[in-house]
Amino acid sequence: MRCQYACGTNEHGVSRRAFLGGAAGAGLAALTSPLAAKELSSKQKRVLVVWLSGGVSQLETWDPKPGTVTGGPFRAIPTSVPGIYISELLPKTAKWMHKLALVRGINTKEDDHGKGAYIMHTGRRQEPANSFPHLGSVCSKLLTTDANPLPGYLNIVPGGGGQSAADAAYLGPRFGSVGIGEGKAPANLDRPGSINNDLDQQRHMLRQAANERFLARRRSAMTEAYTQTYDQARLLMEKKSLFNIDSEAVPVGDRYGRHDFGRHCLLARRLLEGGATFVKVTHTNYDTHHENFDFHIEQLSEFDKPFSNLLEELDDRGMLESTLIMVKSEFGRTPNINRNYGRDHWSRAWSVALGGCGLKPGAVVGKTNATGTAVVDREVDGGHLFHTYLRALGFDSKRNFYVDQRPMPMADPKGAAIEEILA
Amino acid sequence: MALELNRVRCGVSLLTVCIFVGAVQGQPLQEKIDSAIASKVPNYSTRASADSTDLEFLRRVTLDLHGTIPTAQEAREFQADKSPNKRAAQVDKLLADVWHPAYYAGVLDLTWMERRPTKHVTNDEWKQFLLQSMLENKPYDQLVREILTADGNDPKTRAASRFYLDRDAEPHLLTRDISRLFLGSNWQCAQCHDHPRVEDYKQDLYYGLFAFFNRTSVFTDAKTKKAVLAEKADGEASFQSVFDPKKTTKTSLPKMGARKELGEPKLEKGKEYDVAPAKEVRGVPKYSRRAKLAGELANGDFTPFPRNAANRLFNHMMGRGIVHPLDLDHSDNPPSHPELLDLLTKELVKMKFNQKEILGTLAKSKTYSRSSQAPKGSGEFKAEEFLVAAVRPMSAEQFAYALMQATGLTDAEKQAQGNKGESRALRSSLRAKIAPMAQPAMQAFASQPGEAATYDSRVEQALFLANNGYLQGLLSPQPGSLTFRLAALAPEQVADELYLSVLTRFPTEEEKKEVSQFLKARISDRAGAVRDLVWAMVTSVEFRFIS
Repeated sequence: MRCQYACGTNEHGVSRRAFLGGAAGAGLAALTSPLAAKELSSKQKRVLVVWLSGGVSQLETWDPKPGTVTGGPFRAIPTSVPGIYISELLPKTAKWMHKLALVRGINTKEDDHGKGAYIMHTGRRQEPANSFPHLGSVCSKLLTTDANPLPGYLNIVPGGGGQSAADAAYLGPRFGSVGIGEGKAPANLDRPGSINNDLDQQRHMLRQAANERFLARRRSAMTEAYTQTYDQARLLMEKKSLFNIDSEAVPVGDRYGRHDFGRHCLLARRLLEGGATFVKVTHTNYDTHHENFDFHIEQLSEFDKPFSNLLEELDDRGMLESTLIMVKSEFGRTPNINRNYGRDHWSRAWSVALGGCGLKPGAVVGKTNATGTAVVDREVDGGHLFHTYLRALGFDSKRNFYVDQRPMPMADPKGAAIEEILA
Repeated sequence: MALELNRVRCGVSLLTVCIFVGAVQGQPLQEKIDSAIASKVPNYSTRASADSTDLEFLRRVTLDLHGTIPTAQEAREFQADKSPNKRAAQVDKLLADVWHPAYYAGVLDLTWMERRPTKHVTNDEWKQFLLQSMLENKPYDQLVREILTADGNDPKTRAASRFYLDRDAEPHLLTRDISRLFLGSNWQCAQCHDHPRVEDYKQDLYYGLFAFFNRTSVFTDAKTKKAVLAEKADGEASFQSVFDPKKTTKTSLPKMGARKELGEPKLEKGKEYDVAPAKEVRGVPKYSRRAKLAGELANGDFTPFPRNAANRLFNHMMGRGIVHPLDLDHSDNPPSHPELLDLLTKELVKMKFNQKEILGTLAKSKTYSRSSQAPKGSGEFKAEEFLVAAVRPMSAEQFAYALMQATGLTDAEKQAQGNKGESRALRSSLRAKIAPMAQPAMQAFASQPGEAATYDSRVEQALFLANNGYLQGLLSPQPGSLTFRLAALAPEQVADELYLSVLTRFPTEEEKKEVSQFLKARISDRAGAVRDLVWAMVTSVEFRFIS
């Protein structure tokens, strides 16, 4: 299955060969030098998703309603954009509002964790006989060049797992998520003990010589793709150090906090800087049916510092303009405060924060009513958001993928991008 | 001639006159196939690739019929065999061996279940059912009827109900999968509206099939927790077109393709059920719509059914369907050789859906045994011309078994059995013994559950082969393994045994030299050198692809 998408990322053959040839000539060091990284990063577009698992409360984050029956105990504070107020639980993030954009009118009409997550990952509702690729897989397909040794969709999750070929749906397992469970590097990056670098080179030379003989008159896109995976594997092995956050000059705890989410944000920055296309970091767990407010104090204080720090470091490196940032969940939480001081699942009127690549900094779109119980202006759903992500990354979201000649719309044809926040 | 489905869809008859250039009455079928292929291309005989070598043929046909590669010993014997009919004889031998049904049952499993995980019926039961069916060479139409009839209630046929039950009997999913897997065309394209150029047709095609299942659901017994199919006596297949501004609702009774809707018995109100559904009671209607499906669909009279089967068998051997992709049989995507597809369709019905016979016939054709190497200066050629044998990737299963064969694991297991000969029982138990050992490599190359198996190359696969302990284990010298055998040979004998074992051919002079130089350079580390030689061969493109 080959997608005939002509967005310029599928320059098989020539560009890849030129790239690999150049890399071999100049040595791998050329790829990892700061200058080369900067040049690469200014051209390459990437995505960072911060997934607040369980459903973060919009009222305690991006759409506070202080002093109302639904508002809860927290104040709203001013941000770096005059007129935009967010919850006082996000003081550091508030200082970065001029680099972010808020979508406050989301209605996804789905209060189930799994189904809600599906909508937010794929921009579609689940259908029995269809499966749609996650944004990570779509970005992997559209943005990752063949020369990039890092898997296109990296999924950093606390605990193990995170690996799912199924995320890619019809795009094929190659574009599925690769799990970075507990921040550990993918499997099989270390050579067997009995084979040193020199012996490894020798066996690869034998393999390549055999291939040259066989392919002299039998070369095809499939055989090319196969031989290329070995080049990628060797480059990825060289990149293993990217996963080692202990090698950072300044100890991680000092900047990102001494917890999983902090470590994973730092890892995300290292991976993005090292050329990754799409990195998802998960912070868990926001499913606060009980004690919503205590939990949000705890969770968001763990979120606020590393997230704002991550924005700062991406900005320092000149990468923020080319990195699409999103902070989202499977849904928001009920305006109604239940008897356990909790908030329940709520998809009718909630918010996400976006930022970076292709978006209008400091923009806000959509509005909920005074108590946050309904969207009153510019209601959007998962499909609109998905179109918006693709457009922000420079793609025409109305185009199709082609699977065995069959057109598959990249984003839900019933939706359209949220033009107001696109740069 | 075209099938009834096509005819209705495009509004015109696609009846074509069958003219086979050079075809003669009474010709064997494989020759008719060759004539039909040749007739499509001017100067076919000068442009087509040469006949494959004996060993190329042996490797290809063993992969296609047994899902693995031949042993070095088999290669030597086949090469030495002087009989003029040895290729045809080899095809018959492979088809008669128990590894053929074992492999082909796996092919059908992959096609029909697409690696879906076990849900209600275990994968083992289902695979055993398919294996048994293939061992009996059960006619394909009968096999499909059994699958489409089973409701999971009768222990004797429960395994066959996996197709329905492990799809949770979801009617849209069943409509999609039955149309694309058994009828060669994905009717899902007509779920939401008609084909733009064929007004009022396609959407009711979809809902005609959907109507067989929309009353069906999965019922789980409260005590035994066993899931079976239940059916209601009411519920219509209603639909609207998304293009219709008036949103007119239509309904369809069960119907198959372009045929008329099925008549339904009039049942007195209150007497619609043998067992009326209730809480914790599985409903059994007097008239089951679903029960009508197998008879309507899975027989030679409903042309799309045998046509799809014939096309998939052709694809299995040739690496490409006559209709391609396999589930896109419609007027905008005509077959490359319509008359050949019609011929194979008719022959398959005439042979009472004997899949083995068609596979064997295809394997004996000249088209099948062409070289995969294009003739020098042949210029551009199209895959659908079948001028050159397709270079196609092995499936995950083929790769895993070929890897075990090449590195000698299969031979080592045979030795462990005591090398007591080649009886059916021993061959069966050997296959069963090594099946779990194929898992790691199979997983690394597997397509994803619920999606059609397509070729996919991933960096993880290369990392697996380069660094994972699995292949390192296969490459460690132990009695029977290839590295063990090679270590015992004189340096000048290594290349022959290596190439025969891994690539089923003798090395060229250049390759022999390369091997001997490599061994010489690593003279103090013979074991390591041999290990790396085998590694380089099993990671080569030539090993990964069927050529």
